[in-house]
Amino acid sequence: MRKIGRIRVYLILLLALLVNATVLDHFRIFGARPDLMIVCVTFFGLFLGRAAGLETGLVAGLLTDIFSLDYFGINLFVYGATGFLAGALKTSFVKESKRTQALIVFLCTAFSMCLHFSLASAFSRSIGFGFMEYLTTCVMPAGVFTSVISVPIFMKLTEMYNLREEDDLL
Amino acid sequence: MHTPKRKIFTALAVAALLAVFIINSKTITSPGRTNIADTANAPLRAIHGLSSAIKRVIPFAYFREENARLRGEIDLLKRKLEESRPVLDENQRLKGILGFRKEIPFTTIPAEVIGRDPSNWSNSVIIDKGASSGIRQSKAVLSTRGLVGRLVEVGRYSSRILLITDPNSKVGVVIDRNRQGGILTGRPDGKCKMIYIALDSDAAKGDKVVTAGLSAVFPRGILVGEVVEVGKEPGRLYKYAIVKTSQDMSKLEEVLCVK
Repeated sequence: MRKIGRIRVYLILLLALLVNATVLDHFRIFGARPDLMIVCVTFFGLFLGRAAGLETGLVAGLLTDIFSLDYFGINLFVYGATGFLAGALKTSFVKESKRTQALIVFLCTAFSMCLHFSLASAFSRSIGFGFMEYLTTCVMPAGVFTSVISVPIFMKLTEMYNLREEDDLL
Repeated sequence: MHTPKRKIFTALAVAALLAVFIINSKTITSPGRTNIADTANAPLRAIHGLSSAIKRVIPFAYFREENARLRGEIDLLKRKLEESRPVLDENQRLKGILGFRKEIPFTTIPAEVIGRDPSNWSNSVIIDKGASSGIRQSKAVLSTRGLVGRLVEVGRYSSRILLITDPNSKVGVVIDRNRQGGILTGRPDGKCKMIYIALDSDAAKGDKVVTAGLSAVFPRGILVGEVVEVGKEPGRLYKYAIVKTSQDMSKLEEVLCVK
């Protein structure tokens, strides 16, 4: 993270957490709400690589675990894995295309939610709904919503840090 | 030297001449005056027009000031009206809560929602009241529209409520019309799913779902929501119903914690 300081990244994550925990719940569409943490983790993973993605994901997960009623550590693992995945996709796609960015955010959201479901199913005694039901009622709307709002956020962040496709070693 | 008679005659002659001039003054002076007025007509008109224009323009300056002042007042009043709208809404909501508190048969503590769960999986909210206000763990939480959840973490000045829409929430409920029981569990999309409904149940869309009162946490007969879909999953020996909660949890602002 040479170009973007760690403190700044953590502050952005903290801001995303605050927005997630306060106003974002009012903007539900078909019961789904976007996840700004996923957007940020995907962004940093995609532009800064696997290590930075993993680090950002772990911090985002830890913050979410502190403020969530979920099993402690589950978000740490899920966001960490998502950040790592986004980092692994770094060289596979043309990052400057907005469609590609939105598609990657959708994939990362779907991945994190499915992983969350698997872990929650393993830890919880019973979940009252099946995977396919979860996929259609929760993952798809949340994935679409998150990928849509990620477009302006990615634009703002790339503009803010002047990131380019050829900036491989940030 | 003039004699007095001559003086009197001269005075009478002057007086007569003056009288004749005065009597004919109109006919003598009018044409002259008219001519002068005619000659001066154009500049007079111009001056008159100018003065009239000035007379008309001078009040405009005042009107402009008054207009600006009135516009300012309108803006101020509009802003005050906008500012008072949330207060009016809050007043309505609080009146509703007060009325509801009188209706329900148990003591409750009102609290305000100050935070929500940041994750996309859990559904919980944080309220501004804790143990110092008499809040206790594992007690039901209601709103004016129905059941909200239960208290799972109680701090000194704040507490956390597990909403009925959380996947880890389980509430014993019955369909109000036919008293068919089941377990209500949450879904991350903000809806609930009632499971373990008997296969021969005639549960239908529009049925009201209320708490069964089988546990120590939730009092009996509290409205939970309405059935929006009934179905049967393959391989299961029971039916399920998708329940739309009577309280939209994303718009939850004030709650009542059962004491």
